[in-house]
Amino acid sequence: MIRKEAVEIIGNYVGKNPIVSANGFMSRDLFEMNDKKSNFYMIGSMGLASSIGLGIALKNPKKQVFVFDGDGNILMNLGSLVTIGSLKPKNLIHVVFDNNSHESTGGQPTNSSQINLEKIAKVVNYNIFVVQSKTKLMSVLKNIKKLQGPIFLLVKISTSKERSKRVSWDPKTIRDRVMKSL
Amino acid sequence: MNEDNQRKIFHYLKKKKIENFVGVPDSTLKYFIDECLKNNNIIITTREEEAIGIATGMTLSKSNSLVFMQNAGFANSISTITSLVELYEIPLILLIGWRGYLSDDAPEHLKIGKIQPDLLKIIGLKSQILTEQNWKVKCDWALKEIKQKKPCALIIRRMFHD
Repeated sequence: MIRKEAVEIIGNYVGKNPIVSANGFMSRDLFEMNDKKSNFYMIGSMGLASSIGLGIALKNPKKQVFVFDGDGNILMNLGSLVTIGSLKPKNLIHVVFDNNSHESTGGQPTNSSQINLEKIAKVVNYNIFVVQSKTKLMSVLKNIKKLQGPIFLLVKISTSKERSKRVSWDPKTIRDRVMKSL
Repeated sequence: MNEDNQRKIFHYLKKKKIENFVGVPDSTLKYFIDECLKNNNIIITTREEEAIGIATGMTLSKSNSLVFMQNAGFANSISTITSLVELYEIPLILLIGWRGYLSDDAPEHLKIGKIQPDLLKIIGLKSQILTEQNWKVKCDWALKEIKQKKPCALIIRRMFHD
């Protein structure tokens, strides 16, 4: 499964709920596959998607809030897992698309293949799921609704040569669309 | 800044609808932070950039937020301020403790302390210095800035040694 396919599957499940997507190809894939007003495309500030998602989740307890993170991104802000695990937002679903690489900068390796990200998430109070196939992903998504967050969904993906277009909304428009949707 | 005024600033901003106080502790701001703690209205994060991210999410949810930090953390956060807060024009108030304001402060603070005003100017973040006399006027200035969807910074100088 490549990121674009996983983004399409999860995006369909998310519906109108907010998604905060990490910078680089992550946001580009989401923009191409599932653009909607409640998507916050984080085009800079690498590492902070889960922090922004946490802020939205705490203020919108009735909405399920999704973070579309990458392995390179979460490794830059591991402290975020500690803060999220301490505050335990029930409505936060933290998806990490893990290709063991910084794909947006040319595919250099991250260290995510050397460690277990899901184990880190588990010891800081997340409910964890690891999926590798589309079938497993779809079955986990069906069950997630009944579970209490914070949920950590690690989606193992393969790298790909496919490139999505850049996010064409300007940042202030992204801000205003999200603010109106919340 | 004295204890009494630091505690008053928290209540003043809260009365003016600043709902969230997020950041990393700093001794220059310790009474302000203590008042946040006492009122159970605080999130202490692992790094300043994380605090800016959380406060951004809250502000997008139409809940006004302040991020407190030492200027060492401000220096850490410059790329986050330019590529998130300023780029998207997220109306946040940064409250920054200015270590290295006194030229005989601890050595680790001197370099950033010296360039603190230039750093703010170079990244184009509007700022004002709070004093015992002017804090209310400067807080009003910051509240007006965020109402116009502009981020801004309030600075408290470190005027003592411990």
